[in-house]
Amino acid sequence: MTTMALGSLPGGFAWAFSRDFRLAWRNPGETVLVVAFFVLVASLFPLGVGADMRLLERIGPGVIWVCALLAAFLSLPAMFSSDYMDGSLEQMALSSHPMVGWVSGKIAAHWIMTGLPLTVLSPLLALQYGLEADTLLVLAAALAIGTPVLSLLGAACSALTLGARGGGMLLALLALPLFVPILIFGAGAAQAQASGLSPSPHLSLLAAGLIVAAMGLPAAVCLAIRIALD
Amino acid sequence: MNWFYFSSPSTFYRLAGWLSPWFFALAAILTAVGLYYGFVVAPTDAQQGEVYRVIFIHVPAAWMSMFIYFVMAAYSAASLTFNTRLGAMMARALAPTGALFTFVALWTGAFWGRPTWGTYWAWDARMTSELVLLFLYFGFIALANAFEDPRRGDRAAALLALIGLVNLPIIYFSVHWWNTLHQGSTVKLTGTSMHVAMLTGMLLMAFAFWMYSIGAALTRVRSIILERERRARWARSL
Amino acid sequence: MNHGFYLWMSYGATAIAIAIEIATLAAGRARARRLIEEERDLEAQD
Repeated sequence: MTTMALGSLPGGFAWAFSRDFRLAWRNPGETVLVVAFFVLVASLFPLGVGADMRLLERIGPGVIWVCALLAAFLSLPAMFSSDYMDGSLEQMALSSHPMVGWVSGKIAAHWIMTGLPLTVLSPLLALQYGLEADTLLVLAAALAIGTPVLSLLGAACSALTLGARGGGMLLALLALPLFVPILIFGAGAAQAQASGLSPSPHLSLLAAGLIVAAMGLPAAVCLAIRIALD
Repeated sequence: MNWFYFSSPSTFYRLAGWLSPWFFALAAILTAVGLYYGFVVAPTDAQQGEVYRVIFIHVPAAWMSMFIYFVMAAYSAASLTFNTRLGAMMARALAPTGALFTFVALWTGAFWGRPTWGTYWAWDARMTSELVLLFLYFGFIALANAFEDPRRGDRAAALLALIGLVNLPIIYFSVHWWNTLHQGSTVKLTGTSMHVAMLTGMLLMAFAFWMYSIGAALTRVRSIILERERRARWARSL
Repeated sequence: MNHGFYLWMSYGATAIAIAIEIATLAAGRARARRLIEEERDLEAQD
């Protein structure tokens, strides 16, 4: 399957992306779990707060976003840990591919298997919360832009906590505060649309955040992996 | 003069031990003078009465909480760049004090909010960002202590501090944006400009907290140095 | 609740927090000294 150049950044990206994608495709348990969690928790809120559709419509964007955050966070430990445990992470770090390339490939694959399914499913949940069609679309757009940032930030936190005591809770403590701006702008976009305002400031900020994160965070993730491997 | 003389744990240990009592003493004096200004010199506020005097703790604590994070991140950057042990130890020494001032800012903010806004907690931009900052401190401390190898903890926490530093303005900006859409007013003191004695009191208390933080960090780093370097000959011969 | 309550709760909590921190600093020092003692004992045994 490899006809790409050795030691190239796009080559490394493509290699890592296809590898992780195929691994996840063959073992879809993790992905299914993330999606199931998303739907399950989103279904819990109405049970807790009551079925008043006006209330649900108001809290819908925020709740769906929080569920997306939690679901994204759930899948983070697995991003690097199995490769770390069996030594393949070290092998990849020693390879001739620039680290940034294959790290970005792994993060992209992670998003395809978690953030993307959440984004695709969000309209269904939005209907459960009685959101209007235009709000629903803005919500999906915000998720589409924001969940990659969650994958990027989450990858940094996941790499930092490789082999650490405290496991998932430590990861939560690290990642969730960093997720706050994406939550605010992501939910805010849908809420703006719902109240008749323009969501474009929110979406623009999310997009800017995605660009900055995509440029800066892979290097941070590489450093974190190097720290973990030393 | 060799600027790197004090960058070795053994020499810095002695320097820190010599310096820290002075900083604590300064902190005590500044606190006394600051509280004098705060309670005796500064007048009663036109709108808030006496309860505004919480600001002599609240505002300096909030300033310190952010300043200490910044210094912590600076030490983290230095420790990662130059791969020094002492830089990372100083970052570890600063974190608990930073968390303390963040907590104090949040607590006093709540007890200022109740009589003035009517509620202990309002999701305003600064307090919510301060809460996130507290979590950033906890995350740093937890991550630094999550590994068998203390150097791994040093370096992971240092990188986390830098990621947090970049995110802090973004978080504050996002929370401010979120808050101004949902609420509006922030509490102002006397409406126009602050009385000179109030400002003096606040600045004095800020300096007092600053001196205290340095004293506490120097004391804490000494314990960290001893623990980390206990197998070295200089440590055992103390 | 008069204003005194809020002032006492604020200043009091701050004083307590700083007292706790100073206690932790002292405990940290004691712990470090104890570890040094242990290292010295180990060295003496060699």
